[in-house]
Amino acid sequence: MPTVESILTGLAGDRATGALRLGKAGVLYLTGGRVTYAETPSCPRVEDLLTASGRVSAYAVRQARQAAGEERWGGDRLVDRGVLTRGELEFCVLGAVMDAVFFLLQLAGPRPRFRPGERHWLGPQWYFDATGLVRECKRRRVQLDQAWPSTDLDTLPVVPVARIPAQRVVLTSLQWEVLVGADCTATPADLARKLGRPAYSVLLAVRQLAAAGLLCTPEAAAGDAAQAQAAPAPRGDPPEKSPVPPRRGDSPDRAPVPDRRSGPPEGGPAPPRRGDTPEKSPVLPRRGDPPEGGPALPRRGGGQRTPDREPGGSPAAPFPAGLPAATADPGDVNLLIRLRNALEALA
Amino acid sequence: MLGIEECLTEVMAIPGALDAIVIDQTSGMVVAAGGGSLNGDVEKSAAGISETLRATLDGLAMMSPTGAVRVSDMIISTDSGYHLLRSLETVFDGPLAIYVRLDLERSNLALARHRLQALSDRLVTT
Repeated sequence: MPTVESILTGLAGDRATGALRLGKAGVLYLTGGRVTYAETPSCPRVEDLLTASGRVSAYAVRQARQAAGEERWGGDRLVDRGVLTRGELEFCVLGAVMDAVFFLLQLAGPRPRFRPGERHWLGPQWYFDATGLVRECKRRRVQLDQAWPSTDLDTLPVVPVARIPAQRVVLTSLQWEVLVGADCTATPADLARKLGRPAYSVLLAVRQLAAAGLLCTPEAAAGDAAQAQAAPAPRGDPPEKSPVPPRRGDSPDRAPVPDRRSGPPEGGPAPPRRGDTPEKSPVLPRRGDPPEGGPALPRRGGGQRTPDREPGGSPAAPFPAGLPAATADPGDVNLLIRLRNALEALA
Repeated sequence: MLGIEECLTEVMAIPGALDAIVIDQTSGMVVAAGGGSLNGDVEKSAAGISETLRATLDGLAMMSPTGAVRVSDMIISTDSGYHLLRSLETVFDGPLAIYVRLDLERSNLALARHRLQALSDRLVTT
């Protein structure tokens, strides 16, 4: 499977003009072998950047888009109207294209299709060499890793810590925007769209904030979770804690079953807690815990009453709200054995 | 109303200008570069310049009584010449920086600063 990079290099060599469509992942527009525009659903487009600031109306953009043609491209029409300078448009295109290319070049298995002659309505505003783009993307990846060498936060909701581990902080203007815009559900990509800022800049700001200890990180949340069995968890961080496992466990047919099996014979406070977690948001069950008579109870129950089951829960302590707590449960083991047998019978 | 390339040409027309770079402050990327004596690595220069600007902003924010700081330009004079750096915010994207290196003998710092200011007002409207 050729990489996006190799296809791009090939098209640059052919001095091709047209659109390279990468399935649903995005499009790269080339003019004479050089990239002139790119977009991907995960990054704000030029339209989004232009309209988010409020300086250019969505109507003006739509008009320019509809009127665009070979004789006068949409971008030039916008400049003619005087809503922005050529420099601003160029810089906006530059930001949007670099952004999209940064994410498109990381793609593993796109189904590329090149349509010769297809143009973007903005027209060529800035020309990017394929090799320059590739080099810049590498540089940006290094820069991200220098800021904070983990991809953990890239796709998770941005959750600022409620109290900072310092007396004072210095923020850049974008870091400020990210913190103000963070609503504990928006991922960096969502924030970029909401703020009308390039996704890469937002991602970088998020990693810098994480490095400064201003964001809840999965490790911190996991650490809290490990403590959560001994002490009530602090507010704020649960959504950070890897939202994927709980979601997987969400499927209502799977999650309740192990609970019912382990529940009745065991009694105690643990089952209702497990049953709660996959269904509701991870915040709620935790808040509900303390009134139940303290989180110390389930742990004691684990240690004394059913040593054969609860040990399964303790290695999975980082994710008490997710599925892993049930992995050593005999009911799950039986289910897995039945699944395996069924699969073997099929094969 | 200027484009980036035209702006760079005009910056290079400032008396005594040796080289000029337009930099994306957020990523430290070279947007455009001009001038003959930029022998070698423009990208490295751009990275160094944006790092200088970042460190200055951080330092100033720390020492400013209000905690907020807004640098409009920065002048660094060395024994071989002047470095003039102008920071400009854009409405649609991250901040830009225009950098120009000036000859020690042939340049007029006040004029250069004035010209750079006028050019940046034509490049971006605020």
